[in-house]
Amino acid sequence: MTPPPGSLLAAEDLRKAYGPTLALDGAAFSIHPGEVVAVMGPSGSGKSTLLHCLAGIVPPDSGSITYAGRELAGMSDAERSALRRSEFGFVFQFGQLVPELTCVENVALPLRLNGTSRKQAERAALTWMERLEVDGLKDKRPGEVSGGQGQRVAVARALVTEPRVLFADEPTGALDSLNGERVMELLTDAARSTNAAVVLVTHEARVAAYSDREIVVRDGKSRDMERAV
Amino acid sequence: MKVRQWSRDLGLGLRFAFAGGREGWFRVLLTAVGVGLGVALLLLTTAIPNALDVRHQRDEARLDYTYDQTHRPKGADTLVISDIDGSYHGADLRGRLVEPEGPRAPLAPGLSRYPAPGEMVVSPALRRLLDSGDGKLLRERLPYRVVGTIGEPGLIGSQELAYYAGAKGLASHINGWQTARIKEFGRPQASGSSSEGLDPVLFLLVLVVFVVLLMPVGVFIAAAVRFGGERRDRRLAALRLVGSDSRMTRRIAAGEALAGSLVGLVFGTVFFLLGRHLAGSAEVLGISVFPSYLNPSPALAVLVALAVPAAAVLVTLFAMRGVVIEPLGVVRTAKPARRRLWWRLLLPLGGLAMLAPMIGQGADNGDFNEYLVVGGVLLLLVGVTALLPWVVEAVVARLNSGGVAWQLAVRRLQLSSGSAARMVNGIAVAVAGAVALQMLFTGIEGDYTKATGKDVNKTQMQVQLQPGDALGPAAAKFAATKGVRKVTALGGFQVGDGSFNTEEGPKVQTSVTVADCASLRTVATLTSCHDGDTFVARGGDKEMDAQAAQLTKPGRKIFFNTTRGNVDGPDFRWSVPGGLRQVRAVADVNGNVSPGFLMTPAAVPHRMKSLISGQVYLSLDESVPDVHEYVRNTAARVDPMSDTQMWAATERSDKFTSIRTGLLVGAACVLALIGLSLLVSQLEQLRERKKLLSALVAFGTRRRTLSLSVLWQTTIPIALGLALALAVGLTLGAVLLKMVNATVGIDWASVLTMTGIGAAVVLVVTLLSLPPLVRLMRPEGLRTE
Repeated sequence: MTPPPGSLLAAEDLRKAYGPTLALDGAAFSIHPGEVVAVMGPSGSGKSTLLHCLAGIVPPDSGSITYAGRELAGMSDAERSALRRSEFGFVFQFGQLVPELTCVENVALPLRLNGTSRKQAERAALTWMERLEVDGLKDKRPGEVSGGQGQRVAVARALVTEPRVLFADEPTGALDSLNGERVMELLTDAARSTNAAVVLVTHEARVAAYSDREIVVRDGKSRDMERAV
Repeated sequence: MKVRQWSRDLGLGLRFAFAGGREGWFRVLLTAVGVGLGVALLLLTTAIPNALDVRHQRDEARLDYTYDQTHRPKGADTLVISDIDGSYHGADLRGRLVEPEGPRAPLAPGLSRYPAPGEMVVSPALRRLLDSGDGKLLRERLPYRVVGTIGEPGLIGSQELAYYAGAKGLASHINGWQTARIKEFGRPQASGSSSEGLDPVLFLLVLVVFVVLLMPVGVFIAAAVRFGGERRDRRLAALRLVGSDSRMTRRIAAGEALAGSLVGLVFGTVFFLLGRHLAGSAEVLGISVFPSYLNPSPALAVLVALAVPAAAVLVTLFAMRGVVIEPLGVVRTAKPARRRLWWRLLLPLGGLAMLAPMIGQGADNGDFNEYLVVGGVLLLLVGVTALLPWVVEAVVARLNSGGVAWQLAVRRLQLSSGSAARMVNGIAVAVAGAVALQMLFTGIEGDYTKATGKDVNKTQMQVQLQPGDALGPAAAKFAATKGVRKVTALGGFQVGDGSFNTEEGPKVQTSVTVADCASLRTVATLTSCHDGDTFVARGGDKEMDAQAAQLTKPGRKIFFNTTRGNVDGPDFRWSVPGGLRQVRAVADVNGNVSPGFLMTPAAVPHRMKSLISGQVYLSLDESVPDVHEYVRNTAARVDPMSDTQMWAATERSDKFTSIRTGLLVGAACVLALIGLSLLVSQLEQLRERKKLLSALVAFGTRRRTLSLSVLWQTTIPIALGLALALAVGLTLGAVLLKMVNATVGIDWASVLTMTGIGAAVVLVVTLLSLPPLVRLMRPEGLRTE
């Protein structure tokens, strides 16, 4: 199967089951560089599973995923991990910041995992923290900052490696609307400034409004809203 | 009001503990199993003195007191009993030959009647052994028909190998030490109690062993009641949300811990009862007990039942001081107040101060004040648990640069140095105590180990025959025994210048050694020798040589010792013939140079032949399996009353050996227990971090990095814990050695062994936690639905 022309990341006919539960049943997806695509759907519809498959975290049972022309299924676990370290960034709803590291150390972590020296990594981390307006928290630990601040630190961490694709799974799910909107503004602005594609999983229309395009997942099947219109 | 509030909050905690669904139950079970193991160990410890006491009473009740010089006439109420103890495959074998002399002969405890000659009654363990393949060689040694079983009152342990065999003509062997005529079993009133008591140094050892082994159990219980703490904190946050204040929250948390400890008490009792049942089929250090012996002292059991729940509540309240629970989630005080050193130092210093007055008391075998010893050792070891969090905090605060794995580990330790220290506290206490004890054992080992002076390279076994056992045929039987290389059979008796039947006896004595020419050559230099020859051997100790010179003059009338056991024989006089060849006595197998007469068998006057006491010295090919058992079987064939001994280069006090072995077994059990608790808390911590681990893996963290960080997280505190344990252990060891007035020296091999075992426990725990860690790192951890 050929991915749509110009797409950076594309998936066709994805199937994935957890035991008897079918999470994905023939889902399809594609995204272009610099594009923000919201994946919407009710709880349990399979949208997080779609994100995990696209990011190479979970292998699908069948179907194809191509990233920059390369088939993910053909990559080893180590290659997929390396891809996630260097090309992808992640923001989750909960439990993503390492509680014992300071905020700047958390942001610098992906660079350090790539072998960047500590000083250099923390310098780059501070730049991103400034952009996300959390540089004042650099020496605080995640337990000492608010939920909104923590989420901005997480966004900074996701962007510090200047990924080509940013995966955000309910990034504002634990925030109030004001904080949520601010996080979304900063996230999409920062991603656009680096021409990163954003895969945004959400069930909130308010959050999805920041996207260029919406894909709705229901019962494991996906529907591209733009195409449907 | 306060009591009501307390009980209400504790009760609420108790209910929460059980109402938390599967997870709540899991946490209670986790705590209960941990506490239960500790409680079982405590109950077992409180039961040990009682078990040993029952064993002692049973042993006293069946005492046949063969070391009895009292002459008793044969009667309707007398029994002749002979002690023929031996061993089989390293296990002690209690054996008695019995011959009741009348219908009212005293019956040994555990017996309903005596076996007739050719029959025996055996302990259940001996019956099992004889019936099994392992007992094949023993069956050859005990050719009696089994006609009954010795009941529990006649045995001191479930695994004891014992038998009573019927015999005939035993009275002629009565000698006041092996065979006696008795009218009752049990210790005669006049001789008082047999409890020799431990000497003060051994008593000190036992006290310290108990403290050293029980301390880590206490530390373990304290750790066990905190299992699952982090998850509980989150639940408590929800309670804050609905209006409970922080004090109430802490009390509720204490109530939850109380639930675990109460179930733990039940588990502990069940574990103890199971262990008690199993104890009936186990043997440790050659000691077995019947389950009924293992009854904890009621006072101590009540103390355990009260102390454990109380400790659970107190430990939780203490632990919760450092945790701030906010209504919308748990916030740990990010930078806990710096730990203070001064009060932590007071504990070990206080311990040293308690021990100091007893320094040097061992010199005159003085008693040690048991309260000061226990208190001092306890404070020193508690000092380890108090100092360790400070040491960990102080050191990890200074650690910084390094790779990602190192950084993750160091930061985690900096954030919660307390829980890291708690994790290794038990191991550190156990190692500190064990190091101190090893030092003490090594320091005083010389006092309890004596060189026997025996050359075990030439002779490995010795068999003492009964007077009258024919030496030549016996030697031939041993020579034909599988695995025997060389036999030296030496008999002998004493001669003197006067009768042996008078109260004062002879003034001058010397020995007559009887053996064939080959064996005589092992005690003297003989140029030529034929059966029928008699020699005079000279040399050795000056006084003995002078006495021998007096009695070996040709024509001198001398008296032979004809005493048989306790019974005097008729005087037998002998005139030293002229022309006896003088030879030079050389060191015999025992290293003694003995002057006197040397006689070949044909030269011994016929009347003396039945009075010769023979010793057979055997050189063995020890590569032959069961060679010692073959020798013992031959000895039993020659004479069931012969006594077989293994030779050893050194002899160590039995009590010393059992205390040392007890420490090793106890330390192994305690370390295994602590290792288990370490594993549980490690797994629990990993489970708590499941989501974080999955997130880290999701953005590309290598699994190796995370595994390495877990390893560092364990290695750093354990290295610090072991270093502190070494410092405290060596200090305590030095003080204990000073107390018993021994030279302070460090046996680095045993110190490093104990430290190594501690480190190995941590390594094993880390390795065992790696597979679950790898499982937790799977991306499925990110799923919420």
